Amino acid sequence: MATYSGLFDALALRDWCDASATKSLMSLRKLKGEEVAWWDVPFPSLDNLHNACAAIPQTRDLTAWLEDSFLVIRPALRFFLDPLTQPLSWALDGTLTLFTSLPWWCLLPIIMLGVQFSAKSWRITSFVAACFVFFLFIDHYGYAIQTLSIIFVCTVLCTLIGVPVGILMSKNDNAQRLITPVLDMLQTLPTFVYLIPLIFLFKITEPKLYGLAIILYSIVPVIRLTNLGIRLVDKDVIEAANAYGMTSNQKLINVEIPLALPNIMAGINQTIMMSLAMVVIASLVSAPGLGTLVLDGINNLRLGVGFVAGFGIVLLAIILDRVSKAALARVDGSRKI
Amino acid sequence: MPSSSKTQTRTHSKTVNNGGSAKISVRNLFKVFGDDPASILPMIYDGIDKNEVQRDTGHVIGLNNINIDIADGQITVIMGLSGSGKSTLIRHLNRLIEPTAGEILLDGDNIMKYDQAALRQLRQTKMSMVFQKFALLPHRTVLENALLAPQVRGENLQGAETEARRWIERVGLGGNEAVYPHQLSGGMQQRVGLARALTSNAEIMLMDEAFSALDPLIRTSMQDLLLELQEDLHKTIIFITHDLDEALKLADHLVILKDGFIVQQGEPQHILLNPADPYIEEFVSDINRARVLKVSSVMQNDMKTKPTHGSVKGGMSLEELIAKAEGDIDRIFSVETNGKRVGSISMKSVFKALVRYDLKK
Repeated sequence: MATYSGLFDALALRDWCDASATKSLMSLRKLKGEEVAWWDVPFPSLDNLHNACAAIPQTRDLTAWLEDSFLVIRPALRFFLDPLTQPLSWALDGTLTLFTSLPWWCLLPIIMLGVQFSAKSWRITSFVAACFVFFLFIDHYGYAIQTLSIIFVCTVLCTLIGVPVGILMSKNDNAQRLITPVLDMLQTLPTFVYLIPLIFLFKITEPKLYGLAIILYSIVPVIRLTNLGIRLVDKDVIEAANAYGMTSNQKLINVEIPLALPNIMAGINQTIMMSLAMVVIASLVSAPGLGTLVLDGINNLRLGVGFVAGFGIVLLAIILDRVSKAALARVDGSRKI
Repeated sequence: MPSSSKTQTRTHSKTVNNGGSAKISVRNLFKVFGDDPASILPMIYDGIDKNEVQRDTGHVIGLNNINIDIADGQITVIMGLSGSGKSTLIRHLNRLIEPTAGEILLDGDNIMKYDQAALRQLRQTKMSMVFQKFALLPHRTVLENALLAPQVRGENLQGAETEARRWIERVGLGGNEAVYPHQLSGGMQQRVGLARALTSNAEIMLMDEAFSALDPLIRTSMQDLLLELQEDLHKTIIFITHDLDEALKLADHLVILKDGFIVQQGEPQHILLNPADPYIEEFVSDINRARVLKVSSVMQNDMKTKPTHGSVKGGMSLEELIAKAEGDIDRIFSVETNGKRVGSISMKSVFKALVRYDLKK
């Protein structure tokens, strides 16, 4: 006799309960028919109610239902998402192939040039060079380049998508109201949770699986800071733009984006750092790079491998942060008011 | 409401203009801030008090029945303390703020009827604006800032660049073309603002407290620069200020605002000598009258009295006249403007004119 049987008897629902019941094994307590002490009365949860009345579903039915319905809509979702996200796979594959097939003596100068161009600081460029020489020396260069190329693709895509979305949010209060909860959710969901629906949706060998996970996780700051930056543009300057008859497009290109640029770049800096954090976790779903070494370290209890790869990730983080911050500072410095 | 639209017009010594036909006419302009401004209008027409409206309905009356004729080629100064609605008023002229009721005629054309495109056209070509906080684009050089208006109009920048360089030179910033605004002092930044307005080549210039953020000395030099430019350009300038000295120095036509309505408007010397109400009296009481009043404002219009000590110019200040008379109270001068005798002035009338209005009663 389950705790809540009496309740269903009293409500005259016994027939309804038993109608759908299949004879199942009874628990020991049920067989004994012991009364439960008041101290141990359980909460009327789905499982407990199910014990009393078989017509009520169990909690595992709920999760099974979710799983089933996801599987039902999966083909439809795939039909839309697959072609939509296919370019992401190509971009990731292409960049990975390109970066890893270039010999080190060819790629390294290109990276140095890029760093020098964006940060305009010899100190930072030589630091980056030293780091890469270190990677080469300990044979982690290939992994580091894989990680970097994934971050590169994801950051570019985050910026291409995030900046327009941020602009839309800054121009339209309704859009801001709608998008803000989504951003809140993306930011608060534990990183592993992202992977669950994606694993169901795509084959685990597809690069877009981890690409999407990284983009979803790291796009939030660039959207938020673009929105904030444009909303914070000096009202006096906007008024001057209006007074000289600028159209909204002229205002956006000539005033709002340039004045919001320091904030947008701060957002991109955050996005880079977050995609680095995610690319390590994404090694669980076949993202190549330093993360696979960390995973190897965990799975096979190889402390040294994990530590060295972890240190490599820290180095990469420092490089990415310094370079993007230096670029930001350079932009910021030319426009103090 | 004090009616003073019929102030007598005198030719001002400072300007050479074509008679002061109205370039812009502001007609029965009202502005109410709040959730439902239109509902407040009938109450205002009934003469409800500003504070009462604010207490009962939460609406703020920004402008209350404004009527101004802004003369072509002259400097019209709108003066008032903070909260008097002067900045609100100037933003109505290019519709940065939309009025609750009333019309604004530009060359007889009601700009309230303009759609967005026509309004942009107006702002791009006919009106330029100078701001209290300069409002320069921080990421652009002085030259690029000055080129704003031609750039917005989509003109060929090569041709506009010579024009911009000329104005930058003219406002005294020659050699700073490639410098960024943050590298300049406040006074120099406002010169960029001025060059930007001049490069737009608009006939009307709106100046919103343009010199208020500057140090007194720099302010004076900027005022001189503006007057000097106006000698050549004869633009229609609407100048907002809270500083009476500045207003008296610049104005051909002075409009004094208080709590959103016009207390008095007219020729500044006339207002100084004939304040319409106690508010204006109090306002003008601290002024150095000897320096501000001009001989032509105090002189008598008689041509017969024989001068004892020769002639003076009508544009001379009383202070200069007293110096010229060496403090002798018995002297009489004839007054000349452009070489023609227009009246005579006795030192007795000069000293009387120096007495504050409230002491004469």
